[in-house]
Amino acid sequence: MSTTTATPSAAVEPIFNTKPRGLWSTALRRLFHRRSAIIGMIILGSLILIAIFAPVLATHDPTKSLIGIEDVQKRAAPCIHLLGCPADQPQHFFGLDGNVRDLYSRILYGSRLSLMVGIISVGFAIVIGATLGAISGYMGGYTDNLVMGFMDILLAFPSLILAIAIVTVLGPGLINTLLAIGIVSIPVYARIMRSSVLSIKQQDYVMADRSIGVPSGRILFGNILPNALTPLVVQGTLGIAVAILDAAALSFLGLGAQPPTPEWGSMIGQERNQVFTAPHLIIFPGIALILTVLGFNLLGDGLRDALDVRQRS
Amino acid sequence: MTRKLTLLLSVMLILGLVLGGCAAPAGTGTTAEQPEAATEAAPEAAPAGPFEPMVMAAENCDYGGEFMSMEAVDEKTVKFTLCYPDPAFPSKVAFSSFAINDAGYLESTGGGGTLVEQPNGTGPYKMVEWLRGDQIIFERNEDFWGEPAIAPTLVFRWSAESAQRLVELQAGTVDGIDNPGPDDFTVIEDDPNLQLAQRNGTNIFYLGMNNTFPPFDNERVRQAFAMAIDRQRLVDNFYPPGSSVASQFMPPAIFGYSEGQTWYEFNPDEAKKILEEEGVLPGFKTSITYRDVVRGYLPNPGVVAQDLQAQLADIGVEAEIVVMESGAFLDAADRGEIDGFHMLGWGADYPDATNFLDFHFGPGSSDQFGEGFPDIWDALQEGATKSKAEDRQPWYDQANELIKQHVPMIPIAHGGNGAAFKADVEGAYASDIGAEQFALMNPAGRDTFVWMQNGEPPGLYCADESDGEALRACEQVMQSLLAYEPGTGAVVASLATDWSANEDLTEWTFTLRDGVTFHDGATLDANDVVLSYGVQWDASHPLHVGRDGSFTYFPGLFGGFLNAPE
Repeated sequence: MSTTTATPSAAVEPIFNTKPRGLWSTALRRLFHRRSAIIGMIILGSLILIAIFAPVLATHDPTKSLIGIEDVQKRAAPCIHLLGCPADQPQHFFGLDGNVRDLYSRILYGSRLSLMVGIISVGFAIVIGATLGAISGYMGGYTDNLVMGFMDILLAFPSLILAIAIVTVLGPGLINTLLAIGIVSIPVYARIMRSSVLSIKQQDYVMADRSIGVPSGRILFGNILPNALTPLVVQGTLGIAVAILDAAALSFLGLGAQPPTPEWGSMIGQERNQVFTAPHLIIFPGIALILTVLGFNLLGDGLRDALDVRQRS
Repeated sequence: MTRKLTLLLSVMLILGLVLGGCAAPAGTGTTAEQPEAATEAAPEAAPAGPFEPMVMAAENCDYGGEFMSMEAVDEKTVKFTLCYPDPAFPSKVAFSSFAINDAGYLESTGGGGTLVEQPNGTGPYKMVEWLRGDQIIFERNEDFWGEPAIAPTLVFRWSAESAQRLVELQAGTVDGIDNPGPDDFTVIEDDPNLQLAQRNGTNIFYLGMNNTFPPFDNERVRQAFAMAIDRQRLVDNFYPPGSSVASQFMPPAIFGYSEGQTWYEFNPDEAKKILEEEGVLPGFKTSITYRDVVRGYLPNPGVVAQDLQAQLADIGVEAEIVVMESGAFLDAADRGEIDGFHMLGWGADYPDATNFLDFHFGPGSSDQFGEGFPDIWDALQEGATKSKAEDRQPWYDQANELIKQHVPMIPIAHGGNGAAFKADVEGAYASDIGAEQFALMNPAGRDTFVWMQNGEPPGLYCADESDGEALRACEQVMQSLLAYEPGTGAVVASLATDWSANEDLTEWTFTLRDGVTFHDGATLDANDVVLSYGVQWDASHPLHVGRDGSFTYFPGLFGGFLNAPE
């Protein structure tokens, strides 16, 4: 008589022993496998570091004119000693602007403003938009029609035109720019949140909560909202890029940050007539703007792919 | 019987229809001819009546203005009687705001509306079409009384961006541009396809203050601010070659300039000390308001505003920069509504002190600087009523000194500026007073001369315009009794061939040129002159309408309106 004994193979690991990964850790892992997302993160990481350490990295006061302080001419071209600029000339990496201020220092400080505008205005829009969208989607009926009707009206206007109109009414300035960009961004987040809520509220776990009489507020903010955040995060990241561009456009038109605040859009706007005689005054702020927007767009695209349920499955 | 009757009726009906059909065209033709005959017959039936001379007169001179009366002596003679002598009267009369309109056209347009959109003058060009926001097209006036315009078509275009103007010139899409950017002067001079025509700095850029707003109601505070601004730094860094630091409101090349007068020395420490003593500092916040348009006196508005902001910050004054739309800014300044500092300037319209000082500081001036200064009024009044230059100058010296004492504004710069043309344009020049005559320029035989300036004219009834962009366009179409000679600015004959004054310069008589017709075919006569002046003078006249009704130049140069509203 022979007996056979089944010996479990060491190479095969039982499936139930695999530690399940959460949504966010999976997404993060997938994110780090995307080259474009990594480039975006590097750009944004550098930008954040520049913004934080601007006072250390800057060579001059960004708002102080160098007239009478250094022997320099307005709109002087970049002078870098390592690249052959005579040592007796003061060094200015990106040159000087029309008011004889160091452009490199102004661009470094400009990163603070652009990041702040993007994050605060989009944060404001997400908070208001998501709340309105969630209430609208969960309550349905008359409330839904009213809220989404209002959102549709806001969406009917081109966002930049509406922002210009709002700033014109409120008056030019940084705070009003933040507010204007935030307001015009609200409908996008409201619609995204509403569609997520409409889908999630049909899920079994939500139905179960409702059947045992859990209060609506607790269901909405405790169960539905956390599960509807994914598309908001993706849209928010992409939205920051749009907000920075809108703020630059408003400043270019003279409606955003006011002089002498260093803001990339206003730098381009103020020197727009020097595009042929002093192109560095347009090119450097333009590159800063492009890199920032590119960084947010690459990261946003990466996040969208990483959080995509279909790809994950 | 019944059949015969039916047949008869049918025949009659058919005949009736046929006859009716034939008669209808004949009848129509008859009625159409009647008015045509009446129109043709009308001139013969109603020949032009005898000339009825028009007179407009004030009861007395108590209203405060310069005119006592204006009358058509005969068809070709006009007489102005003044309340006080005015040696600069010919210079004022030559100015484009006092161009002559046809009396019939003035009445038919009601003094506004079409008059603003479609000028009807006597000039070498007549307006064909104004495409709002795009361009104005003029064509040569073949019936012009003088030398006909060289180019058959003249086009006015505009762009606020100096870079765009230069690119258009380099690309060959325009023949001339106004006010190239200061940094572009060398680019133009180095380009063999272009030519640069520079203007002398017959202008003034100033930083205005309104004395109805505290703390600018305190003269000592205004004097302190005059010490706080480094004008040399502004001119050295932000003005093109040919510019100079202003020591007074009058430019050096204009009569009325006071030789040897100085402005307050730049002394920020003293300024700060005074402001602290007067309780203005610490913690004073104000604004610097300007319009973002380039003018000869201010080629870099944005950077100059920021430098002024920085200079004020150096003495502890926090100034916010406020940019306004050009028209709204001028209106707000004229109404005295701008608190804080405002950046504005003035370019010469004619070479006399009255154009600068009376317009800004005389009794008829706007509220730009708040309440006027009676001692300045008195000096200007005296200066304007002396017939000889040597008698006038001491009064203007006194006025300039009083302006320094009261500091209604801080004179900063006389801006050198110019125009650029294609190298092949013959006769190209830039007028010191911004009154280029394009009829004299030859765009190398091309049919069209295209001019690109800074901005679109708000209107073309220049009695009610003060913006140089409008005045230049008007000058191609409209003409005044006298004119400024291109190049020198000297007063020369235009619609009037002769002019003379009595001994005390209170009666001025002008003889009109024969054979001058307006673009609509009407003939120039003395009543056209009287009504053109009269509708500006009399604020209660039904034709005193204009574009916005301010008629800024008239009270500025002639002391005030008759029947001015309280």
